[in-house]
Amino acid sequence: MSTGFLHQSSTITRRDLLRERRSGEVLWVTLPFGAIALLLVPLAIGTDAPTLQRIGPGMFWVIVMLFGVLIAIRQTNSETTAQRDLVALTGLDPAAIYVGKAFASFLLLLVFEVVLGAVTIALYDVSPSGWLVLPFVLVLAAAGLSLLGTLAAGIVATGQSATALVPLLVAPLSVPLLLGATQALEAIRLGRSSLSWVLLMTIVVLLLAVAGVLSARPLQETA
Amino acid sequence: MTTTQHETTVWPWIVMAAAGLLTFVASMSVSPDVVQGQLSRIMYVHVPAAWLAYLAFGVTMVASGMYLWKKDLKWDRRALASAEIGVVFTGLAIALGMVWAKPTWGVWWTWDSRLTLTAIMFFVYLGYLALRRTTDALDVRAKRAAILGVVAAVQIPLVHFSVVWWRGLHQAPSLIRPEPPEMDTAILLTLLLAVAAFTAMYVAMMFKRIELARLDDRVLVAEQTSSGPVAGEAVTAPDIARGS
Repeated sequence: MSTGFLHQSSTITRRDLLRERRSGEVLWVTLPFGAIALLLVPLAIGTDAPTLQRIGPGMFWVIVMLFGVLIAIRQTNSETTAQRDLVALTGLDPAAIYVGKAFASFLLLLVFEVVLGAVTIALYDVSPSGWLVLPFVLVLAAAGLSLLGTLAAGIVATGQSATALVPLLVAPLSVPLLLGATQALEAIRLGRSSLSWVLLMTIVVLLLAVAGVLSARPLQETA
Repeated sequence: MTTTQHETTVWPWIVMAAAGLLTFVASMSVSPDVVQGQLSRIMYVHVPAAWLAYLAFGVTMVASGMYLWKKDLKWDRRALASAEIGVVFTGLAIALGMVWAKPTWGVWWTWDSRLTLTAIMFFVYLGYLALRRTTDALDVRAKRAAILGVVAAVQIPLVHFSVVWWRGLHQAPSLIRPEPPEMDTAILLTLLLAVAAFTAMYVAMMFKRIELARLDDRVLVAEQTSSGPVAGEAVTAPDIARGS
């Protein structure tokens, strides 16, 4: 990976994070929305403490996957065709743009996971297990979701129903990540090895990264 | 628009009807299963439908990859045709599985890994078909769909091996597995015959759907390139020579 590539990627990442700092979309809209969802579930299914302790980790991951899609695709909603064209005309490597956008989403998703994790512990009285594996699982889930969301947003691009279509594409394709994350922590809780699940998530992340980088140029040509 | 020889071909209809009839006769001729009774006959459609789902989505992946390599729209049409057929047969496999499950397991649906992942695969390819409807630009549509067609194929091995990786209610693979199948010879032969008939039906459906897709593309190109009525065409210029 050349210095130019890294510089271009980091420029895009900085741009996306700056845009987030100005709009506060993730911090002030998506994050509270996710916390409200965690608050609503017990009201719907009952506030029995042992039940909430049991379903807490699963609810956390479902909320992360569904609301994380909103974070990963936020650029589809906010970027206009003219803005995309302008970035393309600057001559930046499309793969660097993809990596830069995905990395910005990754950082935001990581913050989202940590804050929502704290909310889950507080509301559901969950005792997190596997302190050694948990950081890896959080990082891999955030990486996979950001790579997938950025790829899907690139595929749909300026489609008329982009806002509805991207979640339809991302949600089912994120199932290996959801399974990997929940099962890795469940395996630790049951005293089994979680290596195979972490490995599954790593493979999915690598495949998505390769698919995203390889398809970046053809997708830019169609935007 | 000229009518080509393909547009009037009738053999696909004959193959589809013959395959359907053959499956029906074969599945009704074989003796019912000792344990499941008449209900087991559903398997002669359910299993081939599930097989076609794998085959169709696999072909979509290969055709998508070929489009990205060759940039020839014929591969895009093949990917589309196969995905549509795959969605239909995945839906059929799920529906028949539910009909079988109610009297056998006591519920229409259970959170078995194979069932859940098959439903997810169904939605992934519905998303693929929805993506194709977002633009009329042939090359743009083909390129975007091809990338998704390749990425979406990750689901296929996940669905197939889910019964091996996670224990659930759904039985392990009966035909596509390392060991020889463990079932009665008559049942196995009928099942293989049904699978072969459904595969022939798939080929015939592909032929007709590709033909239709080719016509669709032609209409789209004709609409995009034809010169429509020009604004102000109905207005006539004043006759300057007569001073009017």
